[in-house]
This record gives sequence, C-alpha cells and structure tokens, in this order.
Amino acid sequence: MTFIDKDPAAAIDQIQKGFEKSGYICDRHIATSIYLSQKLDKPILVEGPPGVGKTELAKATSEFLGADLIRLQCYEGLDESKALYEWKYGKQLLYTQILKEKLGDLLEDAQGLNASMEKLHQFGDHFFSEQFLEARPLLQALKSEKQVVLLIDEIDKSDHEFEAYLLEILSDYQITVPEIGTVKAKTKPVVFLTSNNSREMGDALKRRCLHLYIPFPDSDRERQIIQARVPELTEGLRNQLVSFVQQLRAQDLKKLPAVSETIDWARTLLLLHTEELDTELVRNTLNMLLKFEDDIDNIDSEVPKLVLEARKANR
Amino acid sequence: MDRPLAEFVDMLRYADVPVSIGEVLDAGRTIELLGYEDRGLLKAALSQVMAKTMDEMESFDKCFDEFFTSDVNLDLQENNPGQLSEDEEETDGSSPPPSSLDNLQDQDARQESGSGDGEGGGGGSQEGSPAEQSGQGGADGEAQSLLEMLEQGDRTGLTLAMNAAADSANLSNIVLMTQRGLFSRRIMEEMGLNEVTQEINQRRRNGNEDGANDLSGRLDILFDAVRDMVERQLALTADGKSTQFRQDVLKKVKLSNVETRDFRLMREMVRRMAKRLTDMNSRVKKVKNRGHLDIRKTMRRNVAYDGILFETHWKQKEKDRPKVLAVCDVSGSVASVARFLLLFLYSMNEVLPKVRSFAFSGTLGEITDMFDRYGPEEAVPMAIEKFGGRSTDYGRAMEDFKDLVFDEIDNRTTVIILGDGRSNGSDPRSDILKEIKTRAKRVIWLNPERKSVWGTGDSEMPRITPYCTKAEVCNSLVKLELVIRDLLKTSS
Repeated sequence: MTFIDKDPAAAIDQIQKGFEKSGYICDRHIATSIYLSQKLDKPILVEGPPGVGKTELAKATSEFLGADLIRLQCYEGLDESKALYEWKYGKQLLYTQILKEKLGDLLEDAQGLNASMEKLHQFGDHFFSEQFLEARPLLQALKSEKQVVLLIDEIDKSDHEFEAYLLEILSDYQITVPEIGTVKAKTKPVVFLTSNNSREMGDALKRRCLHLYIPFPDSDRERQIIQARVPELTEGLRNQLVSFVQQLRAQDLKKLPAVSETIDWARTLLLLHTEELDTELVRNTLNMLLKFEDDIDNIDSEVPKLVLEARKANR
Repeated sequence: MDRPLAEFVDMLRYADVPVSIGEVLDAGRTIELLGYEDRGLLKAALSQVMAKTMDEMESFDKCFDEFFTSDVNLDLQENNPGQLSEDEEETDGSSPPPSSLDNLQDQDARQESGSGDGEGGGGGSQEGSPAEQSGQGGADGEAQSLLEMLEQGDRTGLTLAMNAAADSANLSNIVLMTQRGLFSRRIMEEMGLNEVTQEINQRRRNGNEDGANDLSGRLDILFDAVRDMVERQLALTADGKSTQFRQDVLKKVKLSNVETRDFRLMREMVRRMAKRLTDMNSRVKKVKNRGHLDIRKTMRRNVAYDGILFETHWKQKEKDRPKVLAVCDVSGSVASVARFLLLFLYSMNEVLPKVRSFAFSGTLGEITDMFDRYGPEEAVPMAIEKFGGRSTDYGRAMEDFKDLVFDEIDNRTTVIILGDGRSNGSDPRSDILKEIKTRAKRVIWLNPERKSVWGTGDSEMPRITPYCTKAEVCNSLVKLELVIRDLLKTSS
C-alpha cells in the first residue's frame, strides 16, 4: 500500500480523502485509527451508539483498500462451529456410507480385528482433512490469499466464550484447529470489531485492539455526511434538517436519532419534494427519526418550537 | 522506552486507566511513528491505544492535557528564574556600571570559598551515620552546581537536578496533603539547599546585601518550582491511592450512613461489583450451554435418509434465568438501602434480565418502567419521591403486591423484600406472604436492622420470618454483594 510509507500526517490525510471519495465522511480521529491499525497490525474495536456508521467504516475501508469484506454477524449463542470452522459432518457420514464397500475390499485380506485396525491406521486421518473442513468467516479471512477486511459485527451480542476464541486470531492472526494444527494468516486481514456496548468487553480482548469511539457527529460533519449521501437535497433544507436532528438529540429520548436515521429522513424529504421544513410535515415523518411510540408522543408538542429553531439555522 | 512515556503511563495508572505492558509497547511504537510534535494527532492516536472504555477515555483526556501542558508550565517556571535573573543583572548593570564586574568577580571568588567551606562541613558530618554520609556526599557534588546553576540561571541544569532530587527523595510515594512541606524540603536539601543558605549567610556577614538578596531571590523561585512539582505529583498519586482507601472503608460502612458526597463513588463500586458477579456467572453458564451430539435424535431424524446418518442433531440446554421481583420499603429509614439494592439489581441486567421492582411505604406501586426509562441512578430518587414519605403499612403493601403480580409468581420466581418489618402496629398480613412463599421459588427478606432488635417495639419480624426462605440482615455493600451472589448461585 502506498499511503503507508508516507509521513504520518500525509498518510492520514490521504485516508481521510480516500474515504470521502467513497462517501464516508470521517474525522481525523477515525483516519488516525485506520492508519495506526495498518502500522501496528492491530484490530480496531469500534464503539458508539447505534447508527453512527460503525459497520459502514469497515465497508469504506474495504473499498479504500480494494479488499474483500468478510462479515461475521455475532449473536447470542454464536460458537466456533459457526464462526471459525466446522467439520462437514454430513459429508463425512455420507462418504463413510459410500466407501463402506470399498472398505470391505480393502480389509478383505486382513485377518481378525487387530490386523484390520492396523490396516486402517495406514490410511491416515482422511476424514479430518481440509476437504472436510467447512471454513467459516474467521478461517476464510485467514486463508485468503489477498488481503481482506474482516468485520466482526456487534461483538457485544456474542457470549463470553466466543470472545476467548477470538483472542488468538486478534493477537497473532492465527487459529488452532485441534485436528489439523495451526492455520496462520497468509496476509494479515484488517480486522474491525463493532460493539454497541450492550455489554462490557473483556479486558483481554480490549488490550489486543485499538479502541475507537465514534460519537454522534456535530452539525458541520453531519451536513457533510448528508451532502455526500443525499447530494440532491438543497442546501437550505439540508441545514434545516441537520439543525432539527441536532436539537432532537438534546431532548430526553429513549433512542436518539442516529446518522443513518438522518440519512433516511433526508431521502424521505427528497421523495416528498419538500422545500422547507414545516410542522405538519415533520409530524408526519417523525417516525423515520424516532423509533419508539413514547418518544414520538413526547416530542410531538415540541415539534413547532424545534421547527422554528431549525428554520433559523438557514439564515 | 522513553522517560516521558513511562511517566505518562504511571500517571494514567494512578488515574484508574489500567495500561498493560502490551499497551505500553504499542504506545511506544505509536510515538515512534508519530513523534511528539503534533499533540492533537498524538492524543488521538494514544487514546486509541491506551484507553479502552469511555470512562477511561475521559480520564485519559484529562491526564494527557495535564501531563503535556504541565511540561509547558515547567518551561515557564524555568523561564521565570532566567528572566528574573536577567532583569536583575540588567538593573545591576545599570546602577553602578564599573562595580558590577567587580561584584561578579567577588561573587565568584566567594563562591569558590563558600563551596570549599561546604565540602568541609560535609566532611564533618560524614562521621555521622553512613546513610547521611551518602546523602551528604551526593548533596555536596550537586551543591556546587546548584549554586552555579542559580547564579547562571541554568534552567535545564536546574530542572534536571530537580527531577533527580525528586527521584532520590521518592517523591512518587507522596500520599497526603500534609506531606507537601516535608517533600519540598527534602528535595531542596537533596539539591544542596544547605550550601546555598550558607553562602547567603556568608554574603550577609561580609556585608554583601545585594548579592545575598539576589541569591535568596533566585532560591525562592526555585523553591516555588519545587513546591509546584510536589503538588503536581500529589495531585497525580494521592487521588488514586486515597480513592482506594475510601472504597475499602465504604464497602463496610452501614448503607444508611453513607454520605451524599460518597454516592458517586458508591455507585461506581456497585457497578464494579455487579460486573464482577456478572462475569463470574456468565462463565458458569458456558458449561451448561455446550451442545453434545444427540445420537438418539440424530438417528431418528435420519430415518428418512434410509438410516444413513446425514443430518446431525445437537443437545442443547436452555438457559434458566431467574425472575426477580424486588419489593422495597422506601420509607425514610430503609430508603438508602433500597437505593443500593435496586442499583445493584439493575446493574446486573445481563444475568438478571427479568427484574421487576416495586416500591412502597403506604401504598405499593411498580417502578420497573421508571428504571427502564431513566436508568437506576435517576429512577431511585424518583421512586422514593413518589412512594416514600408515608408511614409504612406492610399489610397494605402486601395486599397491593398480591393484586398486582400474584398470578405471575411461579416456581422460578425469587421474591426479594427489603424492609425493616416495622409496620406501625398494623397487621403485616403474613398470610399473604405465606401464599407467596408456596408459589415462588423462594422469598428472601432483607432487613437493614441488626438481628438483636428484630421483634422489639413494632417490629413484626418474628411473624414474618417463618414465611421466608431466608431472612437476613443487610446493611452494607459487602452484605448486599453476598446476598446477590447467593441469589445467582442457587438460581443457575
């Protein structure tokens, strides 16, 4: 990669620009962490409220580096057979059935149980070889010839034991499969872990990662993001919209509207050919921003005031 | 590893940011990559390498700013003596131009004699103890240079000497406010204070008032710098150590005696205890959760494939999470304990996802919604405001509780009741409690009063205890932790 050998500040600028090109507006903080992760060969643990673009960051990185994205979605009960590798039990069983007769032929001249066993041992562990190994995302990422971006999404949803499985891959980029041995990464993948903080991650995992916290963007950055994502929106409406959302975040809500909701709302307004925010329109489309009935009810009375404020932002 | 980084790491550790050795190595590489020039960039980079939670990030920000700006402060302080001495020299130079040179030469001459005397004095005390000997010896070597450095306004030299002296005085061990004077004195002595005071006295004796004042002025500036350094160090270390001390005390203190200013710390402790319990218990679940190949089911399922084992089936056990109903008396005396019980229960929502809570003093009402909406820290005072303040009526509360949730109590439910059992003379309706007990998995009664006063006055504990699986005293964080640990152990 060319950007890496440059002077750090220049390299970080280049990352920032590159991301912008692919429509991901990031600040220097984020670009720094991408740079560091490349230089130090460290995974990045991305935290922040839902909808601020944690997953997008991984996608943008894969686009920027021109690498494939391998994604592992975590959930409660996810275990190594679904994340690391699994034996193709069905295939193994099927092959034994098919090869039953062949085995009979092979063992024909063997006398007695001991001799048969002896003979079988000579064939080695055919059934526990790579052919029967189902590579799941983590193993795929390691076996890939090209560099890939590995996204381990919502790691906080997984169980504690899964975190422990990850430690080996995160620190040494290798996995140990008991039956085969250690699989080392051919090219070190760029690893992202995202977390919504629904549970505190273990210290061991955190120690192995860079920690990046993405907060809600300030209004300037949010305007840039909307401009990049919904370029058709007029500047006036964009300012009003961002100002409205920023005000909304200061309210007491169960779930604050995130960037992704702002983008959705911007698209909605575009579809409705809106020229300017008005109370009626905001009330009708509020469900794009707020995802709880309680929140919508609570904010309803505030809407005229917020809209008024937002319109001021334009001037 | 370079020294500033090591010091910075020390500072972080005192500020409750646990930086591991691995992380220090990473930080070292990061600094190597980025250098110290671009502070903003360095801060962004180091914060990602060293701070791993939001709380840590906050402390990190504070430490970083403090650490790197304090460096600048030090520069200023170094500048001060320099500037001052220059000023003085200028004024010196302006008032009597011809004599100034003589003066300086005089000073030089006297300085030599002074230092000679100093060595003599040092030699005299060398006959004392061996420890003193080495100290004096070191001081001797530096005293000469301290005098010179003061005279010449050698800032770098002074700072270096200051740091070296701070090291040998074990400044990093400072814990208490009252040690400030002691440590500054010790550092000054280490740097060779004695020589300089002797020199000043000598100049006074020889009638060289100007020279003496000049030197003592410079010495004062140095003293200020040292005092500043000591105070900075105190701010760094004492915070961490004294917090630890306070925490140990708070764990055992009666919950009703906790003062308002300690609430924040207590909450933090509760959260940490809860996290530990959570971690322990999710590890226990692991064993139960593991699936084995279920041969019987696999066979049965594969009958369709002509007995060829094709599709596998795994044994899996379901996790059993305890349902907890917490009923809290929020009248004056018990409210503070209720606060922490609820805080504890809600901090554990990972292993105890199904907690419903109720508060009562006169009437009883559910407060689960408040917790969901505002989080435990705000919800507890709100609940106390809403339901507290009336005289306790256990009978009434029991009836309300029965009306509200009796149908939902099943054999997996644990009912925790927190109250002092003082019903102000009314019937505590232990018959309802009996009914609850037969339905629920268990009923735990927590009483903040000590056992010896149970049953005295209007306390109904003797009538209540028979219908509880367990009735316990619970008045400190340690006890509270035990109760909840027990709750989790028997539930899994």
